[in-house]
Amino acid sequence: MALNKTTSGGRWRIRPDGPEKVTGKLAYLTDMSRDGMLVGRVLRSPHPHAGIVSIHTEKAKRIPGVHAVITHADIPGMNRFGIVNPDQPVLCEDRVRYIGDAVAAVAAETPEIAAQALESIEVEYVVLPVVDDPVKAQTKQAPKLHPGGNVLHRNQYGYGEVTSGFAGCTHIVEETYLTPRQMHTYMETEGGLFIPEEGGRLTVYSPTQHGYKDRMQLARILGLPEFNIRVVSSPIGGSFGGKDELNVQPYGALLALVTGRPVKIHNSRWESVRAGLKRHPMRIAMKTGVDDSGRILAHQVSIVADTGAYATLGAEVLNFAIEHVTGPYRYDSVEVEGVSVYTNNGVSGEFRGFGGNQAIFALEGQMDRLAEKLGQDPWEFRLMNMRKPEDPGPLGQTIVRTDGAMQVWKSLAGSSMWLDRQDRITDNPWLRKGTGAAFVMHGSGLGFGIPDPAGGMLALAEDGKIEAIFGYEEFGQGLIATLELMLIEQFGFGTEDIRIVIGDTDLVPHSGSSTASRATSMMWKSLQKLRGPFLDRMLDEASKLLSLPTESLRVGTGGIWNRSGEHLLLTYGQLAQGVQEEIRFQTHFPFPASPTKRIGAHYLYTYSAVAVEVEVNVLTGRVKVLKQYHAVAAGPVMNPQGFLGQIEGGSGMAVGFALSEDSVMDSGVYLTRNLDTYMIPTYTDLNGEIEVHAIEDLPEDDEHGPRGVGEIGSVGVAPAIAAAVYHATGKRISKLPIDPESLQEVPDFLVKAVSRP
Amino acid sequence: MASGQEDKMMSPSVWHPRDATEAWTFKKLLDADAIYVAGGTLLRTQWEAGIATMPKHLIDLSSIPGLKGIVKEEHSITIGALTPLGDCRKDPHVIRHYPMLADAIRSIAASSVRNLATVGGNIASRVGDSLPVFIVSQAEFEWNTGLSPMTEDASQWAERLQEQLPKASHLLTRVHLPIIEETELVPKRFGAFHKVGRREAFTQSLVTVAISGGIKADGKLAEIRIAAGGGQTIPHRLPAAEKLLKGQIPNRELLGEVHQAVMNGYRPKSDPFATDEYRKKAAANLIVMELWKACGEPSGAGREQDGVK
Repeated sequence: MALNKTTSGGRWRIRPDGPEKVTGKLAYLTDMSRDGMLVGRVLRSPHPHAGIVSIHTEKAKRIPGVHAVITHADIPGMNRFGIVNPDQPVLCEDRVRYIGDAVAAVAAETPEIAAQALESIEVEYVVLPVVDDPVKAQTKQAPKLHPGGNVLHRNQYGYGEVTSGFAGCTHIVEETYLTPRQMHTYMETEGGLFIPEEGGRLTVYSPTQHGYKDRMQLARILGLPEFNIRVVSSPIGGSFGGKDELNVQPYGALLALVTGRPVKIHNSRWESVRAGLKRHPMRIAMKTGVDDSGRILAHQVSIVADTGAYATLGAEVLNFAIEHVTGPYRYDSVEVEGVSVYTNNGVSGEFRGFGGNQAIFALEGQMDRLAEKLGQDPWEFRLMNMRKPEDPGPLGQTIVRTDGAMQVWKSLAGSSMWLDRQDRITDNPWLRKGTGAAFVMHGSGLGFGIPDPAGGMLALAEDGKIEAIFGYEEFGQGLIATLELMLIEQFGFGTEDIRIVIGDTDLVPHSGSSTASRATSMMWKSLQKLRGPFLDRMLDEASKLLSLPTESLRVGTGGIWNRSGEHLLLTYGQLAQGVQEEIRFQTHFPFPASPTKRIGAHYLYTYSAVAVEVEVNVLTGRVKVLKQYHAVAAGPVMNPQGFLGQIEGGSGMAVGFALSEDSVMDSGVYLTRNLDTYMIPTYTDLNGEIEVHAIEDLPEDDEHGPRGVGEIGSVGVAPAIAAAVYHATGKRISKLPIDPESLQEVPDFLVKAVSRP
Repeated sequence: MASGQEDKMMSPSVWHPRDATEAWTFKKLLDADAIYVAGGTLLRTQWEAGIATMPKHLIDLSSIPGLKGIVKEEHSITIGALTPLGDCRKDPHVIRHYPMLADAIRSIAASSVRNLATVGGNIASRVGDSLPVFIVSQAEFEWNTGLSPMTEDASQWAERLQEQLPKASHLLTRVHLPIIEETELVPKRFGAFHKVGRREAFTQSLVTVAISGGIKADGKLAEIRIAAGGGQTIPHRLPAAEKLLKGQIPNRELLGEVHQAVMNGYRPKSDPFATDEYRKKAAANLIVMELWKACGEPSGAGREQDGVK
């Protein structure tokens, strides 16, 4: 079904947090302030790689209005952070490994004093050779950035014999694909307010995608029990993975505890660019061969990921890329190896799509090139090699069976955009039109072997509100709107009856992270589990209060109604006042994982097929995306507007990934230091039509319900653009963002113009 | 509150002159410690990026009366230097007589910036994207030099800038754009502006080109002016290309030569985001394309030959 306002009917609702966001009324966590609060700032390394000889803070401390200057010596707990692999110093001791590395932090009465204090801290550095190339970083000559060397993680996967596979191939395509260091570019830069409370507690108001994980990491750094820390993590002005890891929280927390006063930190865009995570640039070499019928006999892949100075989730991103670099296809033999390498190039980390974007760009490039060698239609070629529903997952693991691959394939094949792709007339001879397509298989959840808890709580509060309490965060994805709609549709509550409680470790249960396209799935599953007991109990209690049999009652808007829905018998407020014991139910369960024991292997997959029409101006080499078609098989749509928003929003990020975004670095220093040179797409770049088809059918016995769509919209667009550019110009793209110079032509258009029909 | 480099700025004194001569006097007195500020949109980004330091004194031009607005006279349009870009873009006289100026302004920054930024500031920055249009339009810039007003042809001014910095005290007050009507002798006029950036909108330019000319009844080019700029390149005319075209009926061969002349004559300033070769080719392609459009299909002369070099 084409998903839009018309087809959604009454399900197309104004999101509850919408009006406050568009009018600017909503206070984000970084908008908060407190009387008497201090301003926190971080002193960051000016060098991509250097040894620290000495740090002197005396001068800075003497400045009136400076309340604290801290260094590594002031950290009571562990001076390291990192979600999985804590290898990043909170404050560097003897070495800095990227230009954002933190060396000291100050708390002062005003931003001006804080800035002056930063300038007064004396740090003596010995500049060290910069490791700025992940391939060179693996050589013996390269300086070692970490005690274990420069390899963060190496992994591989394979089956069959690629060597003999290639020997039998009629056509082999070999290509190396390069992807950019994309920035998350959330509107709200990192920041927060940190408040020391009575009894030694600390409240942290700071955006993150997993409040409990921040609490654990902060407790480790501060040397405090976890329950002494309250993390409030919502609402967030965008994250896309970029705020999953700690950023300013350790400094704010330390400064608040040292000074005993509230401390606010809020990164400028400059500091955000310098210190923040980026998407892993990857160099993916592929060799893929087919027999003369087009069957893929061998697929060999080598991935080098530039993970930058510290780990964060670099290993997990590489694992994801290795898993997804085979896509929704069958092969006789596969050999994939990958390495994630430390360099002095900032820090790479988790980013929407999580390594899948890079992998699918390369893989789909191979599919198009192979189809051409065979003289086959690229989409038919994909069908011939497509996985079957009963096939195991990409790592040989058992996965949940769906028909998603075929469903999205067919949807695209029958779309008018694809059928009309040879209609390429343009207004001018220097404009060339083309259409390309890509096929995506994307896993959700964290994968086998990684703790992936889920759950939630429902309660009837004293004031009669029905509280849905989850440990997730709202960062613009529409989680609140989706949860509200689920409660209305699945429980029969009215909008006014509901209160949503999220993003506060003092109030919410462990629901796991709001990452990896998992939150919607897990809310749905939680509500499935809670629905029966919660409604039964409400009706039981109502039955007692009303002295009516439960069979004659039902739950509805405003309260308990008679069965036929004519009379409101008891409001939720009355029910809440009348019950003896609080009505509260909680559920805990892990995100479903494959029974196959391979670390990181996914169990739930979604599929998408993307077609893109572009226009290339060969005078300038500039590419404009005219139209997009997305078929997405992710189970039932929980919230049409949210679903559409995720696909369109993901696609917008992918247009940037394909056409304009790259954090350009020179010897470990960013050349794109602000949004005047780092180019995210604007409205004008994204004003083409986007048609989204949601395929909601699942096999009858499926028990997993809606799959998340937070990432999948961002995966297939870049390879589809690359294919469309080839269709338009006959030039293959292997490096992103596309360099317009590679598409520029000398204007022989004067001749062509005459001969064109 | 976002703390960052901008916080290091110390607050300067702001002077509010009542007329252009007073502004000039402040500048003369304070010299290098002061800078003229109109919209301040470009300066702000330079201060933030640390590529310029905020001086001790700012001379705020916005309060000077009479320098804002657009007036149509019989044979010209006069644009006050303090006219916001946004106003200029929407002005009916500009749209009617100089659509390419409206095009150029539309390509500058975003509407919120254009509401603050001024035409004078865009010109005085020396790299403003509107400048190529003024250069090819025979615009005259009127300056307050403290003594008597001075006017100078835009293209001559830009040419001098290639060699030396402009006098910092000179204050641009007005821009005069001649209205060149189509005549019996020159029945067809054409003009166009193109900007190539790194995305479709709100981007610094990599390349800008402007072209303006007239075609006689016999198809010969009566006159032609071509300018190119972009990024940190101070826009300049392309005399060799103009010379090739003047008095000629463009055919494919000639356009090929013009393409080469632009490639040779355009001197873009490098940055990490595009090669010089790319910029040259883009400028040459766009200029030749506009000539091709203006002159209709190139005459049969070279049609059978291979594509131009």
